[in-house]
Amino acid sequence: MLPSILNGHAMNEHTSLEAQVITVTSGKGGVGKTTLTANVGIALAQLGRKVVVVDSDIGLRNLDLVMGLEHRIVYDIVDYVEGRCRLRQALIRDKRVAELFLLPAAQTRDKTAVNPQQMIQVCDELRKEFEFILIDSPAGIEQGFQNALAPADLVLVVINPEVSSVRDADRVIGLAESQGKTQIYLVINRVVPARVKRQEMLSVEDIKEVLSTEIIGIVPEDDAILSASNRGMPVVCNGKGPAALAYRDIARRLSGEHVPLEIPQALGWWQRLFGKAS
Amino acid sequence: MKALNRFFAKSNSAQVAKQRLQTLLAYDRLEIPPGVLALIKDDIVAAISRRVSVDCEHVNVNLLHEQNSSKLVVDIPLIANRGARAVRSAGRSNAR
Repeated sequence: MLPSILNGHAMNEHTSLEAQVITVTSGKGGVGKTTLTANVGIALAQLGRKVVVVDSDIGLRNLDLVMGLEHRIVYDIVDYVEGRCRLRQALIRDKRVAELFLLPAAQTRDKTAVNPQQMIQVCDELRKEFEFILIDSPAGIEQGFQNALAPADLVLVVINPEVSSVRDADRVIGLAESQGKTQIYLVINRVVPARVKRQEMLSVEDIKEVLSTEIIGIVPEDDAILSASNRGMPVVCNGKGPAALAYRDIARRLSGEHVPLEIPQALGWWQRLFGKAS
Repeated sequence: MKALNRFFAKSNSAQVAKQRLQTLLAYDRLEIPPGVLALIKDDIVAAISRRVSVDCEHVNVNLLHEQNSSKLVVDIPLIANRGARAVRSAGRSNAR
């Protein structure tokens, strides 16, 4: 029986000195993997950890854009894999937070440019320098997903509370399990508590029952997310809204802290009128 | 009709979603298309009909999903030779 991530236990044999590769995937597209990778990566760095976020969506890179680092890309992961640069040259330092780097994907190639074995080798190199390696997986279950999954010590499956996302997540969880991954956790993204209350939206309990997978985070729908990606300034940089808080909680749980899971509640009308307490 | 109205009402749609997902994921995990259940029913009726008379119109074959396992639950009414309904025979077979 694995110790629960929510009780603040360190993962398996990993100590604070060993690197951890965390793959963020979903199956379904557009559910919030890239936003989660960016925000949790930054939040971990804010906690003082050495973090690299890796964009494995080759051909359709977006992690750079969401983080506001797109203008700094010179080399990417394919350049390194094909021997045109050193790994250090492809890493972009995020100057907003100490010890946070981005390894961008290539924009002009496709998922066949890298294979799972090469991803494992890249991560083995990154393990020498970093405590956390977050891999932003592309949507789907084809080679891009296989590349992202191969080096994973821990898998985060991001879902939205709607039928297609949950169905795809079930498939992805099955695929991850068949590849020997045992640390698989759900992040429920874009929860709207008022709609859950009106029984228009699947609840956390519903999802837990259907997928039988431990939940590591619940992120409410938050208008601030769109503005954040418009500006290339992820919400955890300075935000106090519900999504930022949720992302920081996920980062804290990943670094071994005991943070109880809270189910977001619908606000009363007076709270909506006068603004939420921060 | 009431059930149909509830299906289309905006409220409670989450409950419908949950039920649909539970049923569907049972099939996905077994890697069989849901439509195959009707074919399984035909196969079972054909096999049993070779030995005994079956009330084909009232045969039910359902997939029962529990946490870590699934079961086929089969309900096959039989017809006695003298026209009256024989004792209902419920057959169970495990499908994992």
